[in-house]
Amino acid sequence: MSEEIYNKLAQAVIDGEPEDAEELARQALEQGADPLACINQGLMKGIAKVGELFSSGEYFLPELIIGADAMKAALDVLEPALMGDQRRDVVGRVVLGTVEGDLHEIGKTLVGTMLTANGFQVTDIGVDKKPSEFIAAIQEADADIVGASALLTTTMLQQEKLIEALKEAGLRDKVKVMVGGAPVTEGFAKDIGADGYAEDAISAVDMAFRLIDAPA
Amino acid sequence: MSIEHPPIEPIKTARQLNFLDEKQLDNLQEATLSILENVGVQFPSEKALAVFAEHGADVNQESQIVKIPRELVLKAVSSVPRYPTLGARDPGFDLPMQDGVAYFTNDGCGHNVIDSVTGEIRPSTKADVGMMARINDYLSSMAFSWTMVSAQDCGVTSPLHELVVTWQNNLKHYQSVTLMGESQCRYAVEMATALRGGTEDVRRRPPISLIVCTIAPLVQDKEAIEGALVLAEAGIPTVIMSMPTLGTTAPATYAGALAVGDAEVISATVLLQLASPGAPVFHSILHAWADPRTAAYVGYPLDSRVRYAPVEMAHHWGMPALGGAFGTESPELDSWQSAAEVAMDPLMVALAGAEIVTGIGLRDTYTLLYPEAIILDDDLYHQARYALMDLEVDPETLAVEVIENVGPGGHFLSQKHTRKHMRTAMVRGVTHQLDSMGKYRDPVDYAREKVTWILENHHPEPLPGDVQSEIDRILNAAEKELNA
Repeated sequence: MSEEIYNKLAQAVIDGEPEDAEELARQALEQGADPLACINQGLMKGIAKVGELFSSGEYFLPELIIGADAMKAALDVLEPALMGDQRRDVVGRVVLGTVEGDLHEIGKTLVGTMLTANGFQVTDIGVDKKPSEFIAAIQEADADIVGASALLTTTMLQQEKLIEALKEAGLRDKVKVMVGGAPVTEGFAKDIGADGYAEDAISAVDMAFRLIDAPA
Repeated sequence: MSIEHPPIEPIKTARQLNFLDEKQLDNLQEATLSILENVGVQFPSEKALAVFAEHGADVNQESQIVKIPRELVLKAVSSVPRYPTLGARDPGFDLPMQDGVAYFTNDGCGHNVIDSVTGEIRPSTKADVGMMARINDYLSSMAFSWTMVSAQDCGVTSPLHELVVTWQNNLKHYQSVTLMGESQCRYAVEMATALRGGTEDVRRRPPISLIVCTIAPLVQDKEAIEGALVLAEAGIPTVIMSMPTLGTTAPATYAGALAVGDAEVISATVLLQLASPGAPVFHSILHAWADPRTAAYVGYPLDSRVRYAPVEMAHHWGMPALGGAFGTESPELDSWQSAAEVAMDPLMVALAGAEIVTGIGLRDTYTLLYPEAIILDDDLYHQARYALMDLEVDPETLAVEVIENVGPGGHFLSQKHTRKHMRTAMVRGVTHQLDSMGKYRDPVDYAREKVTWILENHHPEPLPGDVQSEIDRILNAAEKELNA
C-alpha cells in the first residue's frame, strides 16, 4: 500500500505533474503514510530520476523544472506533517538568490533545480535580494552553501558586497559562497573571495558537492 | 532492412518574387519570336528538319537553319503541359508540379571526385553515381535525383549504367543529365517500360526525364535533340536548357542573353510539340558571364540580379521551369566563397517560383564532388525552406493564457506549454551541432559523419528481381549495339 503511494509520488515528479503530486501527498497523509518515507522513497527517487534523464539528454529544461515544481508542490504538503525531530535526508542545504539590483531569474532557478534533483535542500529567495535578505535566509535554513547570481557587469559587484556582509555577520566561516552568471568568471570569483564558481547548472552541482566535501 | 525513409520536404511558399514586369516579359517574348522568325535556329538533324518542314516552317536544308513563323511557335508552345508529374520508382515520391512548391535535386554532372580514402582527386565512377544516389535517397531536401557525376568506367553506355545504378540506390524520380542520341534514349525508354510494366504507365508516371542542352548561340545538338524526340514520343519529360554566356555566346547585356537563351529553348520546345503534342517539356536558361580578359566562365559575379528571371519567362510561355541553384566556382569544400556565393540561391529560386531546381552538392563549377558537400548545401536549402515556411498563428501558438500565467517577470520554463513546444521550437542545422562539452562542432566533421552514417544505414528497397533481370538484359543489348 505505502509502496504504491511512494511510486505514484515518484511518477508524478518524473511526469512533471505538480497538481497530481500535491494531491497524492494529501492522499498519502490521509491514508496515514509516513511523510518522511513519502519524501525519501517517493519524491527524492522521482527527482533523482528526472536529474538522470536530464543528464542523459532525454529530458530538456522544462521537464527538469516542472519535475522540481511537482516535488516542491508535494513537499509543501508533506514537510509540515513531519513528526517531532523528523527531518528529511539532504546532501546539504543551499540558499540561492539573485543579487540586489538584478532581476534575472532563470540561471539561478536552473541551478536550484539541478541541486534539488541531486538531493540538496534548496531555499530560493528570488531576485533583487539585499545581503541582509541572504543572511536571514542562511540563518533560517542553517545553510551550508549560499549561491549568488548576477547577470550584469554592474550587479556582479554585489556578489562581493554579500561576501563582506557575511564576514560582518560572522557567517563567512560557516557558509561556502558560490557565484555565477554570464559576466562572472573564475578569476572574478577568486578576486572577490568566493569559494566556488560554475559556468552552468550542471557544473554547479559538482561544485556544490566539492564545497561540502560530499561524494557526488 | 532499412531505417525509416525520410519524406521529401520541398520548399513551399505562397510568396512570389517578380524580377520582371508584364511589359518586360512581353518584350522578351517578342524578341524570341522575332529571332525565331527572322534569324532562325540551326537544327543539324534530318529528322528535326523534316518535322519542321512538314509543319510549314521555313527550312533551309543546306544551312540546316529553321525559321519558325510566330503563329506556329505560339500554337506549338500552347500544347506544353503547365503542371506535369515526374513519376518516381516509389509512387509515394511522385512529384506533381504545382504553384508555390519547388522540388530540388543534386547538382550534375561532375567528373572529378575527392576520394574519401586517399583525399586525392580522381575520375568519377559508376560506384560514385550509386553512392550519391543513395545519399540523395535519404535526404529530405532531394525531391528527385540527377546524374551527380559520370560513370567514366563504363564507356559509351555510361548514361544507361548511371540510370540503372541510380534505380538500384534511389526510389525517387531520376533526371538524366547525360543520355545522348536516339539509340541510348530508346534503351532508356525500354528500361522505363520494364520498370513500370507498360508504356501507358511510363506516360502517366514517367520515372525518368532528361536534360537536353542547346549550343549557344542558336544551335541545337543533333544527338541531344534526336534523343529528346524519342523520349517525347514516349511521354517522358525533357528539360531544354540553354546556357548563354554574356559577351561570348550571347550579347553582353542581360536582356540580350536571355533572348538568345529563350530562342534556343523555345525552338526545341516547338520541335518536340510538333512531333509529339502534349509531351512534357521544362524551360531552363542558366546564363553565365565571361571574364572580359580571358573569356573564362563566371557563374557568380556580384551583380547577378536576373539569375532567376528565366523562371518568369518560362511561366510567361505557360511552361514549367527548372532553375539552377548552387554550383559554386570555388574548388574548396567549405571556403567562404563556396558558401557565400550560393547561400541566397535556394531562397531566391523558390521565391521566383521554379517548379524544379538543380543542383546541390558540387564544387568547382559543377565538376568536383566531395561526397560531404551535399550535406553542407542541404543545410542552406533547409534554411531557405524554413525562411519561407508558413508561420502558425492560432490560439495554441499565441499562448496568451500561458503569458497570463507567467505575467510580468519570471520565466516560461515551468509551463507545460513550454514543455510541449520547446523541443521543436529550435531546429539545429549542420552549423549548430554541439560536442560533448557543449561547444560548436566543425560542420565538415559532422557532414562527413552523416555521409558515413547514411551509407552504413540507409539501404533503399532493391529493384524487384524480374525487373532487375529485364533491365540487365536491356543493358547487355545496349552494350552490344553501342560498342559495335
